[in-house]
Amino acid sequence: MPSCKDITEHSSDYLERNLPWWKRPGYWLHLAMCIHCRRYVDQLKLTIGTISKSPDATPPNISTEEIQAIVEKMKQSTKK
Amino acid sequence: MANSTLPSDDELIPRLLANDETSYAQIVSAYHGLMVHLARAIVGEAIADEVAQEAWVAVLRALPKFERRSSLKTWILRIVSNTAKSRLRHESRTVSMDESLEESPIVDPARFKPNAHWASPPVMWHADTPDALLASTELRSCISDALSTLPPLQRAAVTLRDMQGLSMEAICKILEVSESNGRVLLHRARSRIQMAIEEHEGQ
Repeated sequence: MPSCKDITEHSSDYLERNLPWWKRPGYWLHLAMCIHCRRYVDQLKLTIGTISKSPDATPPNISTEEIQAIVEKMKQSTKK
Repeated sequence: MANSTLPSDDELIPRLLANDETSYAQIVSAYHGLMVHLARAIVGEAIADEVAQEAWVAVLRALPKFERRSSLKTWILRIVSNTAKSRLRHESRTVSMDESLEESPIVDPARFKPNAHWASPPVMWHADTPDALLASTELRSCISDALSTLPPLQRAAVTLRDMQGLSMEAICKILEVSESNGRVLLHRARSRIQMAIEEHEGQ
């Protein structure tokens, strides 16, 4: 069965369902028995959700004027 | 940055090759924000817009040779990533895979007993939803600071995966890393943010 340290190292793979099949039973068994690792994995899941909703997650807006300016540069570059 | 009105790659590519201005505007409108977002993750805020604009010129130059091994969007973002990495190299800064894939542990080893089980387990957080966590101004700023101190490729991985929802396959193509290295980059980035939240919660 994996150690708590192993659980922390593979928790993204676990959450993204990318753990190799032979590692899954040990991982599940450890989580069923260890409240600390269940908390660690739950908090990683919460972290991912928080990152996705953080203000940093929104791409910058682009104005019509900026679009036009970039299009002009693109047109110029094709004329060279 | 919705691109629901963007034509399919099959329709768009010939129009771009024919220098169709409307198609230029459509594709810039759909992807420029995302390109700046990715460039910002790699080179920082100050020159991200410049890098994205430079990438558009490179996109047009390379388009006749685009072999369609990925979507147009993935291919464009790969050009942004390469432009940003070149820019960092030019400025004698490192885009070190060593730094991004460093062997340092995910969790401080001092938190484990010699048998690798918890000695200092995770503390309870005051909230259990993203919205409740983000309601704290201090915590928002703490997350933002943690993101800004990530090595460039880790920051790019978390931007593309957790903020933009791209597949790991696309992310690995964009950053030109193997699938296993892509997963390491992402997990390290997430873990650093998690540790920053935990430190804040433990105060």
